[in-house]
Amino acid sequence: MAIETRPPHESDLETIDINVNVGPQHPATHGVFRMVLTIDGELVVDVDPVIGYMHRGNEKLPENCDYRQVIGYHDRTDYLAQFNTEHCYVEAVERLAGIKPPERAEYIRVVLAEMNRIASHLMFFGAFGTDIGLFGTSFMYAFRDRETIQDFFEEITGERMMYNYFRPGGVAWDLPDNFRQRCSQVLDSVERGVEQLDGLMMENEVVLARCRGLSPVTVEDGINWGLSGPMLRATGLKHDIRRAEPYSIYDRFQFDIPTGKQGDVYDRLVVRLEEMHQSAWIVRQALETMPEGPIMAEGLKRVLRVPAGEVYMRVESPRGEYGVYLVSQGSDKPWRHKVRGASFSNLSALRAMSVGNFVSDVIIILGSIDIVLCEVDR
Amino acid sequence: MVHEAPTAAPAEPIEPGPVARLFQSALRGLALEIGQSPIDEVVSVRREDFARVMETAKNDERLALDYLRCLSGVDWLTDLETVYHLHSFKHGHSIAIKVRCPVSDAHIPSVSHLWETANWHERETQELFGLVFDGHPDPRPLLTEEGLGYYIMRKSHPLADIEEWQEDYLKTIEEAKAQMAAATGVAAPVDEKALKIQMAQQKAAIMKKARDDARAKGLSPEDEKAAVQEAIKKFEEEHAAGQAAAPTAPAKSVDERAAKIQLAQQKAALITKTRNEARARGVSPEEERQIVAEALKKFSEEQEQAAAAPQAAPAQAAAAPATPAAPMDRAAKIQLAQQKAALITKTRNEARARGVSPEEERQIVAEALKKFSEEQK
Repeated sequence: MAIETRPPHESDLETIDINVNVGPQHPATHGVFRMVLTIDGELVVDVDPVIGYMHRGNEKLPENCDYRQVIGYHDRTDYLAQFNTEHCYVEAVERLAGIKPPERAEYIRVVLAEMNRIASHLMFFGAFGTDIGLFGTSFMYAFRDRETIQDFFEEITGERMMYNYFRPGGVAWDLPDNFRQRCSQVLDSVERGVEQLDGLMMENEVVLARCRGLSPVTVEDGINWGLSGPMLRATGLKHDIRRAEPYSIYDRFQFDIPTGKQGDVYDRLVVRLEEMHQSAWIVRQALETMPEGPIMAEGLKRVLRVPAGEVYMRVESPRGEYGVYLVSQGSDKPWRHKVRGASFSNLSALRAMSVGNFVSDVIIILGSIDIVLCEVDR
Repeated sequence: MVHEAPTAAPAEPIEPGPVARLFQSALRGLALEIGQSPIDEVVSVRREDFARVMETAKNDERLALDYLRCLSGVDWLTDLETVYHLHSFKHGHSIAIKVRCPVSDAHIPSVSHLWETANWHERETQELFGLVFDGHPDPRPLLTEEGLGYYIMRKSHPLADIEEWQEDYLKTIEEAKAQMAAATGVAAPVDEKALKIQMAQQKAAIMKKARDDARAKGLSPEDEKAAVQEAIKKFEEEHAAGQAAAPTAPAKSVDERAAKIQLAQQKAALITKTRNEARARGVSPEEERQIVAEALKKFSEEQEQAAAAPQAAPAQAAAAPATPAAPMDRAAKIQLAQQKAALITKTRNEARARGVSPEEERQIVAEALKKFSEEQK
């Protein structure tokens, strides 16, 4: 009787693709998000993102609110870029109602929105570091600086997260007296932190090994998939709404638009890191030229009635294009209030970006999108 | 919640902007309605032209609108509208394209073959507005895995009265369950003990009645006994007949899980068989995988055909009567709850306008609700 002595070869084994649920309660999914991975060994064959766990009717509720009551919902839509989202909403109302906010209010908005961008990107670096296994390296450094910015925001608005500070026509109240000095101080400290982060992360062996060349995206694909923000700029497309369709007073400031080369995960990191420096630059310019004066447009009624019409306002939020589509019927409530979350469109490309990679890499790809689930589900 | 009908927009002709003019020249002979918003130009198109317009918007060199920024549904009560905000990276221009369809025929061609990003946007709009995007490759609900069955972004969906609505909703479900039990005779949780007690009480009542009747007639004790026994026998016979006549539990115990398991087993057997055959022929692993995939595809197609064939007829039959006399489907329940919510709002507002105390107000609302449910019955 012939005994087979050859050890079993891989092709002799019957393999079967299996489904693995990642999330919804999983630290790697950055919130309540679930991916159904179909894996063949370590290789990801299919990804089915399951969203909606955070769906709160964030578009329906504002249709039953006064225009000023809606501002708070935007804080809660993208809770890492509250000033950017508020900026988008109040400017949408202003454009529709023909309100011109005073100079000082515009400067305050730009300063806070750019500081918010830095805080959001710091959050990204912290969370992304944990995704690739560098908890102590990035997380603690990034969060130290983010905390500095949040303390600063708290001094201005009284809130640590949900600021509710911008208003159609201006801002809620004026800045504290020592604002300029305090802001420069925070900025100095944060920029030192960003330098440290740069040294710790970008040359890091782990980061290089795991992020370089991972899931490269071409410009055409990026456009077709609806990517925006750092995700799209990483592919090499030089597009920033602050420059392409300037809103507020962004046309007055100088800044560069950092881009990547091949759209891989490493490029996304590079773009975000450089954006922090650019934001700091904008803030410094704004602090120098910020005028004194009123902070709220005059002649606004207590009940804000917006003339009938529609507007799709978009801003460059840290995650990409954040848009608000407002339709008014002339009453004190919006008829339609649609939010275009940057993360929503970026996340919809997850499947295309991850198929064919390893399971552990899919976690990194997901982390590099920098999703905020509240914005995805609304 | 009552929404006023939207006021008609002023019908002033608007001078087309540069992008709208490009559209006009690229699509000669099509009815384009030009509008303007504070940022973008707006072009409204008819539904029958929509697919062609979007094709042109993406592929025409002068337009080259390669980026779909946002897709929004809007409920105009009689119509549903979708708005597409497009951007061209090549030319740096943007435009909004609008298309409308009546609520009764809420279908719009999908554009996800033109812009990949439309996939999720359309899934979301379909789920929240009940708008069907024809030709969508994957029309599952997006935000709620199982779908809600009602469309929360429509204006007809209540919001301000959500608490009352929810409370009523639960109550309505309970009522519907009870009704269903009464109609089909399959009371969901049959309390056997209570049933027995009820039987015994009925029997006792009949015995007493028969005995009293017999005594009133002045019958002898033997005759009295016989009359009582006859009455009981009659009651039992009637009861048995009633039970037999009542529709027994619907014999539709199709175990879906078992069916699924069976299907999976069949598939597994098919995979093994095809693979072994392929291996016997000595093909390469790639070819083998392909052969198996083809066999699986064929199998599922056959399954689908088999499933579609017998179901086609009943599906059409069921379509004719809008809702078969089923106990109360989900939509009816929701409608009832919505009616109730509207009633609550109306009564409460009326009561408040009269300036009554909160207690009285509550009472008035409760009375109105009671009256409403009596009317319903």
